[in-house]
Amino acid sequence: MMKILTPTLMLIPLTWLSSFSHLWRPTLSYSFIISTLSLTWIKNMSETGWTSLGLYMATDTLSTPLIILTCWLLPLMILASQDHMKTESQTRQRLYITLLIFLQLFLISAFSSTELIMFYIMFEATLIPTLMIITRWGNQLERLSAGTYLLFYTLISSLPLLVALLMIQTNTGSLSLTSAQFYFSLIPQHNFLWLACFLAFLVKMPLYGLHLWLPKAHVEAPIAGSMILAAVLLKLGGYGMTRISTIVDPISKNMTYPFITLALWGVIMTGLVCLQQMDLKSLIAYSSVGHMGLVVGGVLTQTSWGYSGALILMIAHGLTSSALFCLANINYERTHSRIMYLTRGLQIIFPLMAIWWLSFTLANLALPPLPNMMGELTIIVCMFNWSWWTIIFTGLGTLITAAYSLHMFTTTQRGALPPHITSLTPMNIKEHLLIILHLLPLLLLILKPEIITCWSS
Amino acid sequence: MNPITLSMFTTALLSGTLITLSSTNWLMAWMGLEINTMAIIPIIARKHHPRATEAATKYFLIQAPAAATILFCAITNAWMTGQWEINQMSTDLPIILILISLAFKMGMAPVHSWLPDVLQGLDLMTGLVLSTWQKLAPFYLILQLHSTHSLTLILLGTMSILVGGWGGLNQTQTRKILAYSSITHMGWMLVILQFSPELTLMTFTLYVTMTLPVFMILHQNNTLSINKLPILATHTPTISALIPLLLLSLGGLPPLTGFIPKWLIIQKMSHLGLFGLATITALSGLFSLYFYLRLSYISSITMSPSSNLTTATWRLTPNSIPLGLKTTIVPSMMLLPLTPMINSLLL
Amino acid sequence: MVNFAALVRDHWVHIFVPMGFVVGYYLDRLQDQKLTAYRNKSVLYARELKPGEEVTWK
Repeated sequence: MMKILTPTLMLIPLTWLSSFSHLWRPTLSYSFIISTLSLTWIKNMSETGWTSLGLYMATDTLSTPLIILTCWLLPLMILASQDHMKTESQTRQRLYITLLIFLQLFLISAFSSTELIMFYIMFEATLIPTLMIITRWGNQLERLSAGTYLLFYTLISSLPLLVALLMIQTNTGSLSLTSAQFYFSLIPQHNFLWLACFLAFLVKMPLYGLHLWLPKAHVEAPIAGSMILAAVLLKLGGYGMTRISTIVDPISKNMTYPFITLALWGVIMTGLVCLQQMDLKSLIAYSSVGHMGLVVGGVLTQTSWGYSGALILMIAHGLTSSALFCLANINYERTHSRIMYLTRGLQIIFPLMAIWWLSFTLANLALPPLPNMMGELTIIVCMFNWSWWTIIFTGLGTLITAAYSLHMFTTTQRGALPPHITSLTPMNIKEHLLIILHLLPLLLLILKPEIITCWSS
Repeated sequence: MNPITLSMFTTALLSGTLITLSSTNWLMAWMGLEINTMAIIPIIARKHHPRATEAATKYFLIQAPAAATILFCAITNAWMTGQWEINQMSTDLPIILILISLAFKMGMAPVHSWLPDVLQGLDLMTGLVLSTWQKLAPFYLILQLHSTHSLTLILLGTMSILVGGWGGLNQTQTRKILAYSSITHMGWMLVILQFSPELTLMTFTLYVTMTLPVFMILHQNNTLSINKLPILATHTPTISALIPLLLLSLGGLPPLTGFIPKWLIIQKMSHLGLFGLATITALSGLFSLYFYLRLSYISSITMSPSSNLTTATWRLTPNSIPLGLKTTIVPSMMLLPLTPMINSLLL
Repeated sequence: MVNFAALVRDHWVHIFVPMGFVVGYYLDRLQDQKLTAYRNKSVLYARELKPGEEVTWK
C-alpha cells in the first residue's frame, strides 16, 4: 500500500521544487508511472479476500478497481487542466497540482482503510481540496454558493454517520472492516442507526432529492474538479454504502423500500431533466445523478448481483462521465459557452472530435459491449428479481437515457453551424490523448470484466 | 503604557488566575477572580480611545455583579452549611446561581452578549487574552462544582454552541466573529465538562492552539473587518493560502486539528449512550462553520484574477512571517495524526 | 565531458518519486514482517511456513 502512497506524497515536493518550465511534464509522467504501478493490485491471490494487507490499510475486490480508477484519474486531470491554467501565476499552478495530489492521497486512503473511522476521516478530508478547487478555480461567482452547498450537504448528512460509527464502536468495541463478520451481530438493530449510516452516502451518491449540490458543483467547477467529482468522489458514496450495508445488515430489509423507490424514480426524473437541459455540463451532471440512482438501487437490494452490478456501473460511469466532462470542456475552451444551442453542429469543424463524442454518448446510453451496458443490465436483472414492478422504472429510465444522450450528441455535433462560430482552434494532440486514455480502459475492461465485478477468487 | 506598570498589571493578571486555580476556599477563589478583573481593566483601557474605555467600562460592569453574585452565593452557602469549601457545595440555589454567574463571567450563552461588544473595543492581543486566559479561572470553578445539575451544564453548553454559531453569521467585524467563535468553543468544553474534565482541558488547549495564529495573523495585518481580509493576499501570500485551512480547522473539519476535540467529545458521549446529545451538538457546530467558510472565501478564495470583492492595497515586497506565527500555525492545522499521543498525554 | 554538476542541478528533483517508491517498499516490508511475526506468535495460526511458501496477505 505504501508503495503507492509514498510516491504520491513525493509528487508534492516534486511539484514545488522543479523549475517552472518543467512543472507539468514530470508530474504528469510520474503520476502515470504511479497509476501503472497501482495496476499490480488487480492480481488478488488472497484466501481472505483482502490483499496488500497492512495494519491500517488493505485492498479487496471491491476497493481495488476504485483505487486504480483514482490513480488513473490524477494524470488525466493534470493533462486536462494544463491548458486553462496557463494564465495563472507560477505559485498557483503549483498549488493547483498539489491540491489534485492531495485529493488522490485522501481518496486512496479512504478506499483502502480497514478502519471505518479512518474511512470517515478520509471521506471528509476529500472535501477540503474539492472545495478549494471548485471555489478558487471556478469561473462564475456562483462557485462560492456551489462550494457552500457541497460542504454543508455533505457535513449535515455525515455528522450523524460519525455518531453512528461511534455508537457501533461503543457496542462492539471495534470498527475494523476485516473483522466485521465477527461482530456485526452485536450491533443494535435500530432504524435511526441505519438511516444515520446510509444518509451520508446517499447524499454523496447523490440520491434523487438529495442531489441539488451536485449539478451546482459540476457546473461551477473547473475541468479537473468536474472530472474527479464525477469519476471518483461520487463513488465514495457507493463504496461506503456497500461496505456499511454488510455491517448493518438485518435492519435494511424494510428500511430500503423508500430509498430504492426514490432512486428509481430519480432515474426517470433526472432523465427528464436532462432532456430539457440547455447547459451541457449540467446535462452531464444530471445524467450522473440518474446513473448513480441505479447504483443506489443495486446496492440497496443487497444481493451479490446488485453489488457487482453497482461496482461495474460505477467504474464504467466514472470513465464515461469524466470523458464527457473533458469533451464539454474542450468545447468550452474554444467557444467559451456551455449552452448547447450556441455550440451546435461542431462536427463540421472538428470531425475527429465527433467520433469521440459519438463513442462516449454511446457509452453513456449503455451500448453493448461496453461495461456500462454490463453494469446496467446486471442491476436491472437484480432489481427485476427483487420486484418485477421495477422493470417499468428501469426500462423507462434506459429509454430516456438513450433519448437524452442522443439529444446531446445530435445537438452538439450534427446540424448546421451557428452563424457566430466562424473559426476555432483545432483540437491538439493532447486533447485526443486525453480522450483516448479514457476510452482505452473502457474498451479493455470488457475483455476481462471479472476484475471489476467484485468477485473474490 | 509604562512598561513597569504594564508588567505589574500582567503579573497581577497571572497571579489572580493562579490564586483561583490553587484555592479550595470560596473566599480565596473570589479574591483571585477580582484581582484578575482589576488587573485586566487597565490593560483593556490602555489605548486612549473611546472604544477602549467603553469596553473597559462594560467589562467592569459585567464582571463586578458576577463576582458579587459569586460572593453572595458563597456566603449563603456558608450560612446554610457552615463551610466554604468549593467542592462541597450541597444546596441547589447557590450552585445554580454560581454556575450562571460563572457563565456570565465567561460569556456563555444565554448571558453572552457582552463578549462580542467588549472584544470589539480591544486590540487583538488583549482580545486573545480575554478569549483564552480569562476563561481559565471560571472553568476551574465550574469543574469543581460539576457533581450535580448536569442539565444546566448541558443546556448552557449546547446553547453556547448554537448561539455562538448563529450570532457570528451576520457579523462583519473579525473581532466579533472571533468572540462568537470563542463562545462556540466554550460551549463544546462545557458540554463535555461533567463527563470528562480531561477532554475539557484538551479542548481548551487545542482551542488556544488554533485561535492563537488567527489572532496573530489578524493582528499583524491589522485586519479588523472582513472587508480588509483580502489584504492578506498581498501582504503575506503564504498565510493567505493557509488561512482557509486554519479557519476550517477552527470549524472542526477533518483532517485538521479542530476535528480532534469534536471527535473525542462525540466519542465520549457515545460511550455514555448520549447519542441524541452528540448529534445535536455536532450539527449545531455547523453554524459556526458557515462563517468560517465565509471568512475563508473572502480572505483568499475570491482574489485576483477572478472577480474579487474588495480593493486590496498593493505591496511589492511581502511581509515576512514572524517566528511565533510559523511555529503555531503548523500545530493548529496538522495535529490530527497525533491524536493517540494527545489522548494518552491528557486522558 | 557532459557537465555533470549542471545535470544534477537541473534534474535532481527526479529523485523524489523513485525515493518515495523505495521508502514505500521498505515500509511495506516492515509491515509484512510485523504481521508475519504476529501470525507466527498467535495461537490460532502459528505454524512453520513450508520452504518457499509465501504469506498470503501481501
